[in-house]
Amino acid sequence: MLLIDCPFCGKRPELEFRYAGEAHIARPADPSGLGDEAWGRFLYGRGNPRGMHAERWRHLNGCGRFFNALRDTTDDRFAATYKIGEERPMVAEPQGARKA
Amino acid sequence: MADLLVRPRAALADVLRNGRHGASDGAPGLILCERTELSAATLIARKGQARALAELVKSAYGIDLPSTPRFAGNQLPDGRFLVFLWAGFEQWLALIEGAQEFERELTLGLGKRASIADQSDARAVLRLRGPKAREVLAKGIAIDLHPRAFKTGDVALTLAAHIGVQLWQVDETPTYEIAVARSLAKSLWAWLSASAAEYGYEVVGEIR
Ligand SMILES: [Zn+2]
Repeated sequence: MLLIDCPFCGKRPELEFRYAGEAHIARPADPSGLGDEAWGRFLYGRGNPRGMHAERWRHLNGCGRFFNALRDTTDDRFAATYKIGEERPMVAEPQGARKA
Repeated sequence: MADLLVRPRAALADVLRNGRHGASDGAPGLILCERTELSAATLIARKGQARALAELVKSAYGIDLPSTPRFAGNQLPDGRFLVFLWAGFEQWLALIEGAQEFERELTLGLGKRASIADQSDARAVLRLRGPKAREVLAKGIAIDLHPRAFKTGDVALTLAAHIGVQLWQVDETPTYEIAVARSLAKSLWAWLSASAAEYGYEVVGEIR
């Protein structure tokens, strides 16, 4: 079973968690000041990398908190989990990683 | 006017029958009861007030409010046993035996530092003990209950048979307690009773 390390609860089975999209995407401070293209990029532009991906997860059937994680999209391994608001940790890019 | 008869009724009153069930040879693998005498309330620290709340709880009840998935309790001067279970980031479930107006009591003491909501009729709590307690729970709970991973005093918010529960280990026997939303208590019981049947289990009024 894949274990995910909730920053609040510790290592827990995958089935307690829900994926919640790419992390570190800040909502523009002034949406009405943006053109359609920039707003579209905020809404839909995602990295979709092959390799290490920073993403949000929620410990839905546990403590309920959102947190961020670094996951290798090629083999599903979690390299790190960290609290919302914390810096993305420095983690070595896996072998064979390729920019999207 | 006719008297309005509204009496407290345990969540599992319809289905729990005292006595021996399941496999009937040897000692029961599991002994269990519903803790019908409990009052419950949730506490959520107000923004930035978690430390002040912990200090209040310490001075009022002599309990160190856990900041990790653990529980801590204390016998109060009036003899009642009060316990605070970690229930998420800066949240707790407080349980006490035989209190009247528990929420009011907590709100008077702690309401400046935390939002407090009565849960006495919202949760069912089961106490389970016995040599097969771990095996029974493992059938529907995915977390590791081996003593090296889950110890006395540990608390987990997790799933049991796909039902959200709060589980904690009371002692090394092992004894566990499991809290579930009252509306899902019978679903949990359907799983638990089926899981325990092969070991034989005994339902009792109270486990001390
Ligand atoms: Zn968690």
